[in-house]
Amino acid sequence: MNHDIHLIVNGEAYLLSVPAHHTLLQVLREQLVLTGTKNGCEAGECGACAVLVKWPGADHAEPVNSCMVLAPEADGAEIVTIEGLAHDEQLDPLQEAFITTGATQCGFCTPGILVNARALLDRTPDPSETEIREALVGNLCRCTGYVRIIDAIEMAARAGREVAR
Amino acid sequence: MTRDQESGARSQESASSFQLPASNRKHSLIGTSPQRIEGRAKVTGAATYVDDMQFGPNLLHGMLKHSPIPHGIIVRIDVSKARALPGVRVVVTGEDFPGYTGLYLKDRRIFALDRVRYVGDTIAAVAADTPEIAQQAVDLIEVEFEPLPGVFDPEFGASPEAPLIHPELGNYEAVPFIFPQPGTNVSNWMKVRKGDMDKGWAEADLVYEHKYRVPHIQHVPLETHVCVAQQDVNGKITLWSSSQSPFAQRNLIAKALHISHSKLRVITPYVGGGFGCKAGVSMEGAAVALAMNAKGRPVKLRMTREEEFYTTFVRQGLVAIIKMGMTQEGRITAVHNRFYWDGGASTEYGTNITRAAGYSGTGPYYVPNIHIDSLCVYTNHPVGGAMRGFGMPEIHWGIEQHIDQMAEKLGLDPVQVRLINCLKDGDETLTGMIMHPTGLSQCIQKAAEAIGWTSPPAPLLEGEGSHKRRGKGLAAMWKAPAMPPNPGSSAIVRMNEDGTATVSIGGVDIGQGALTAMAQLAAEGLGVKIEDVRVNTVDTDYSPYEWQTVASRLTWSMGNAVLQAAENAKLQILQTVAEAWNEDINDLDIIDGQVVSYRSEESRSLRDIAVYGMQRPDGTWIGGPVLGRGNFMPEYVTPLDPETGQGPRAVVHFTTGCQAVEVEVDEETGEVQVLKIVSAYDVGRAINPDMVRTQMEGGAVQGMSTALLEGIILQNGVPRNPNFTDYRIATAVDAPLELESIIVEVPQDDGPFGARGVGEHPMVPTAPAIANAVYNAVGIRIDSMPITSEKVWRELAKTRP
Amino acid sequence: MQPFDYLIPKDHAEASALLAAGGGSVRPFMGGTDFLIRARGGFIRPQSVVDLKVLPGMREIRQSPDGWLVIGAACTMNQVAAHPLVLAGYDLLAQACNSVASYQLRNRATIGGNCCNASPAADTAPALFCLDAVAETYGPAGARRIPIADFFVGPGRSALQLGEFLTAIHLPPAPTGACGAFNKLGRTKLGDISAVSVAVYAWEHDTETPRRDWRIALGAVGPTPLRAPEAEAALAADASPQGVQRAAELTAAAARPIDDIRASAAYRRAMVAVLARRGIEAVLAGIARAGLQAVPFGGVPAGSVSPTGVLREGRPEQMIGGAA
Repeated sequence: MNHDIHLIVNGEAYLLSVPAHHTLLQVLREQLVLTGTKNGCEAGECGACAVLVKWPGADHAEPVNSCMVLAPEADGAEIVTIEGLAHDEQLDPLQEAFITTGATQCGFCTPGILVNARALLDRTPDPSETEIREALVGNLCRCTGYVRIIDAIEMAARAGREVAR
Repeated sequence: MTRDQESGARSQESASSFQLPASNRKHSLIGTSPQRIEGRAKVTGAATYVDDMQFGPNLLHGMLKHSPIPHGIIVRIDVSKARALPGVRVVVTGEDFPGYTGLYLKDRRIFALDRVRYVGDTIAAVAADTPEIAQQAVDLIEVEFEPLPGVFDPEFGASPEAPLIHPELGNYEAVPFIFPQPGTNVSNWMKVRKGDMDKGWAEADLVYEHKYRVPHIQHVPLETHVCVAQQDVNGKITLWSSSQSPFAQRNLIAKALHISHSKLRVITPYVGGGFGCKAGVSMEGAAVALAMNAKGRPVKLRMTREEEFYTTFVRQGLVAIIKMGMTQEGRITAVHNRFYWDGGASTEYGTNITRAAGYSGTGPYYVPNIHIDSLCVYTNHPVGGAMRGFGMPEIHWGIEQHIDQMAEKLGLDPVQVRLINCLKDGDETLTGMIMHPTGLSQCIQKAAEAIGWTSPPAPLLEGEGSHKRRGKGLAAMWKAPAMPPNPGSSAIVRMNEDGTATVSIGGVDIGQGALTAMAQLAAEGLGVKIEDVRVNTVDTDYSPYEWQTVASRLTWSMGNAVLQAAENAKLQILQTVAEAWNEDINDLDIIDGQVVSYRSEESRSLRDIAVYGMQRPDGTWIGGPVLGRGNFMPEYVTPLDPETGQGPRAVVHFTTGCQAVEVEVDEETGEVQVLKIVSAYDVGRAINPDMVRTQMEGGAVQGMSTALLEGIILQNGVPRNPNFTDYRIATAVDAPLELESIIVEVPQDDGPFGARGVGEHPMVPTAPAIANAVYNAVGIRIDSMPITSEKVWRELAKTRP
Repeated sequence: MQPFDYLIPKDHAEASALLAAGGGSVRPFMGGTDFLIRARGGFIRPQSVVDLKVLPGMREIRQSPDGWLVIGAACTMNQVAAHPLVLAGYDLLAQACNSVASYQLRNRATIGGNCCNASPAADTAPALFCLDAVAETYGPAGARRIPIADFFVGPGRSALQLGEFLTAIHLPPAPTGACGAFNKLGRTKLGDISAVSVAVYAWEHDTETPRRDWRIALGAVGPTPLRAPEAEAALAADASPQGVQRAAELTAAAARPIDDIRASAAYRRAMVAVLARRGIEAVLAGIARAGLQAVPFGGVPAGSVSPTGVLREGRPEQMIGGAA
């Protein structure tokens, strides 16, 4: 019951044989050893496994919880995980802002939040605080109380606007 | 006594009797806020947690068979079908490992043997080639029970009518400060008796009693419990464990499985949150038991989110009956408190929580006449363990609401009542300890000021005529590190060829920032830049001993050890240089990695010295690889009298603080929106102020989440909400609109640079502060957590005609 | 999770045949947000799943020649909520879709899955009840159309028969002056399963009279989502402040709630009245605003009625943007 699928993950193409009942999360973590994407609940509730997926035919990537995608479904998809957020040692402004503001503590929720925040800023470069909070409602964090995460996303949005200017 | 004097007293065994002069302390890094040293690893996904480690295709997948019933005799366990399933490599049960284990009271087995005591009790474990096969094997294990009546309420459990959950309690081994009551369900009875209760009631103008309830809470680390165990050909076992307590795990598991400590190695990489649940041992023993039968293959055991909710540690429930006497002026005359702790099926860890509740049972107030009973009661509920606050959030829920109720009945301002009674330097605490200098009064004043205590609430978001009401509330707290009298810390600072330093510690960074704080202390003590300090995560084969990462003790205790080790390394370096340069060591210093002489103005990089030593004028060499060592253990904690709880020094110290909140309550739906939380804590000295504030922020929101949303719903012992769908925790939308954190610094005499811990404290008073603010807003008092919308609505409905 | 296979059907007929042949052991699969939780928990042990979203039309939103809006069953919540045709005429449905779980889950969860699970708490259901939606299905006997109220049969039970699956939701043309509001109450402020939800919808009866027709539908307070016809009729007759209060009470009377771990029946019933009143008031305010602005369809701007009740301020239309 294995299926062959094509995936592009962080710009690299893969041809993989995946069990039908495995999730995209399992493929990323177990087969590709991209372990930055975390397993927090396997029920779509915590957001620790969020990745960006550009489905075949879609014009842009969207965040999904990778525990909620069956591996064979992802055939042909382009995926960005936390490992693909930085380019050539250059951190994403969100990653810089998370370090600067102290928005990460234990760090387990951080990859999913960063990926989801990247998607937020891609579709809404200048989000209000309310929009940031609502966009994060599916990303649980038990350490920080969220305030610095919100600050970091605001900081990265400002940085992004300055680059755009 | 200053810290410097005391470190002098402690360092007799260090490299020399010479001590660095106090003026040598520059404090250039202390009180600054360098960024988290592992920040880059965490934001790039590079930080490795246990489940991220790779063990290859040989890895076996473990799974546990849990009891589906809350209480019963195990009549029969049949694992033959499971063993026969292809791909199943190991099946173990209690017969294979019958011994007892536990941290403070040995009342627990790795696998249930003769009876199960809660839904989720571990009966057997399997290891198989795939998780799918492991699950099938677990399903094939047949267990026949003879159900027993259960205990689901601690007050009932403490009564003579209750069925006994541990008939063997009298035979269990306990530490000397835990007092089990054989023939009952009470596994610890902590008593505090002081003064004259009759006199205390007689002096009071108001005596008032009220009952408060706290449900079981789950810690909800984003990373669930996970470990991998493997045995090598020599019989040595390595356990990779997401743990707050690598050394305590080594100790407890080695003893339980009758293996030598030197044959068990625990490695803890990054940990995805703990909050107490990864202290001690929960499921790790089962993984080791599987590995001992796995013929050298590694075995992974990872709790699902559902398992995490009720088969690992939970925070104990509490029924608190609080009775207080107060004069017209607001002075507390007497306190009679009864704490019935819902300890669950095992109280190996929880007994010490109930002890902490005893010796802290008045809250942070001076009370002359005291009668406190703190009872740890076995129930057929999940196993209680440590959680952030260690009993303090639970007892302060009642105490801090009670203060407000007393104040209101007497027509007094609750802030003033707290200021009158709060413990001050030199006051005697409930156990007879003399209170050290503390900034509690300052914290109360600053929190009240920051919330605008004396001014009316801010205007409503929705304007006049709205069905929303605003209110403010406040609560104070205290908490001591709750631990045995002699928990030790140690540290090693090793110099590298390039002049950088590697710090080895046994404490774990569970997100609180310990690695960074230790890097600061080491850099400060040694005289190097923080970028030139690396701090290792824990491997018990190479890291020095640390008791546990609990009790908010690392900055204070492990910090002392790290600072001492760094200073010890510095001393060794300077002794070498002094001899090589023929100078007085008092004229030498290390600044930013350069040894400098204030007399000759010579300087030399550590790179040239720290490993290779130095050449004397005559051409010979002196020095060699520098290895600094430090250790710390409090040597002054005294036992308490078992009948009165009295003794000169119950604990090492208390961190104190206060929180003030403003809420908005929807009178139609009962919804509570927390607008602002102000936290003010006396941290002694903030080594890294920004990280201190992150602890205050995170603690406040965790406290708010438990206050408004959380509780494991147990119906006849069956958890009804073991998932994120129905155990809701606060999201970014629920978090307060504003958080303000105030650092108060009244130095701790034996803390590094005066520091004391603050990791747990910020969630202690949040819930009662919110309850007080809800009362202030709409005039209803919610005495059982959580303050759900429905409870607020129901109480409001009662007040309407 | 125990092994199962993943099947891609070549057409509707094959999908139906696979489902029919498998009995309960071959499961329909679209967004997977409910299926994966149940499969992982061992509550269902399928032999295989049939991915229905690959079938033609399943992920499309289009206007039919007769003016109806046709939403493919496998359209995600975000896709529905951001679609211009939905926003133009069926803002009530967009509000409901946006109230479900989290942004990233709404990229997986489908409108059809929300209906097929037949949870009484399905958040799109009250909106679909108000909008007089019709479910289109495909099965061994071919296609059929089922009014949405008949599609929900009981808790977890839909009208689908063996081998039959939902293909689309059809919405009749939006009437003149239509305006809707969806409100829900959970334990957390956003993203929770509804303990109570209420959709309110009104439109102009005709252009000659000032009379309006109303729809009120409720979630999580009965074995299925349900309407409150007496409240609807009362409002049509009297939408004064007293009339609104009376309608809210009649709505609560229509609820058939139970006690569970999320809320008690008493609280649910009381909250139905509160949310109904708030929804009616929001719709009346929306109508008044629309009158001033002379918007043809009179829809309330998306998100102006907040599912959270607090915190919502400004630019909500940006937050729902996104999926395709």
